[in-house]
Amino acid sequence: MTEDVPGQDAISAYLDGELDDRERDAVAARLAATAEWRAVMAEVREARALVRALPARDAPPGLWRFLEGTLASTPVQPVGAARTSAARPGGSRARRGAVRTVAAVAVAAAIGAFVLLPGRSSTRPPVATFVETHAARSSVSEEPVSQLAPVAVPVRLRR
Amino acid sequence: MPTWEEVARDHGRFLYTVAFRLTGNDDDAQDLVQEALLRVRWGLASYQPGSLEGWLAKIVTNVFLDEVRRRRRRPSDALPDEPEQVLPPSRGADEDAARATLSDEVQAALADLPVEFRVPVVLCDVADRSYEEIAAVLGVPIGTVRSRIHRGRRRLRAALVERGVR
Repeated sequence: MTEDVPGQDAISAYLDGELDDRERDAVAARLAATAEWRAVMAEVREARALVRALPARDAPPGLWRFLEGTLASTPVQPVGAARTSAARPGGSRARRGAVRTVAAVAVAAAIGAFVLLPGRSSTRPPVATFVETHAARSSVSEEPVSQLAPVAVPVRLRR
Repeated sequence: MPTWEEVARDHGRFLYTVAFRLTGNDDDAQDLVQEALLRVRWGLASYQPGSLEGWLAKIVTNVFLDEVRRRRRRPSDALPDEPEQVLPPSRGADEDAARATLSDEVQAALADLPVEFRVPVVLCDVADRSYEEIAAVLGVPIGTVRSRIHRGRRRLRAALVERGVR
């Protein structure tokens, strides 16, 4: 009777808990007996840990509102219906412009509020949120840049 | 059944993270998320209750692979897995030392992996999908998934050593 010898790719599956009992025992035995397998295990374990430790990535400010406005205006198609690129709402360039503008406005507003209101009041309006909200709503319904005029709002907060 | 707005609100970060790890840059990740949400919207009626994030991972992966295939048919378009397209332009050693964080290096090495290795690694280690789910998404046997994940991790580790990170 010939005993199955696992291939080295079983090492990753071993780490991921993807082996049945027989395979797991075979890999464990091989790891105990072979320095090369232990070295590979160390490499793979490290790579796996590094990727798993990558932080979650937040979308740029304004993306979800932009998509909400854009996708809401798109007709729901039946599953499997043919689609062309023309059916794709809100092209990349328009979206990127809007999202970047909204992000820049939000940052500028936050900085402006910080500079213009240095501890003068115990009430701090959420300027960045207001501006982002209004700017995003404008940008999804109209041409993205010219509709962002209300971003001068923080100036009115001066006393 | 969730609405697509709920999907975007409650799972948007997951969706964007997977998209970013697959594409390696924010612009392509936004394109990917936009197209994926369109498909989510169109597909919600047929969604079977189960792992919503598994379903989302499948959709975003399919959109990504469609785009890779489309770009391969049009060589003038940059492929997302071409290193020069996803890595910063050549940087000096000093700048490297100042800017690079471990996460940046890992992300760059991940983006440098060929698509056939990157996708299963991302689905396993970022989207936390099982080998069985990954095999179903990619339409390949589980043994292929196992092999690609293992080889992808080894390549990633070798790339990090080459970069002087490890």
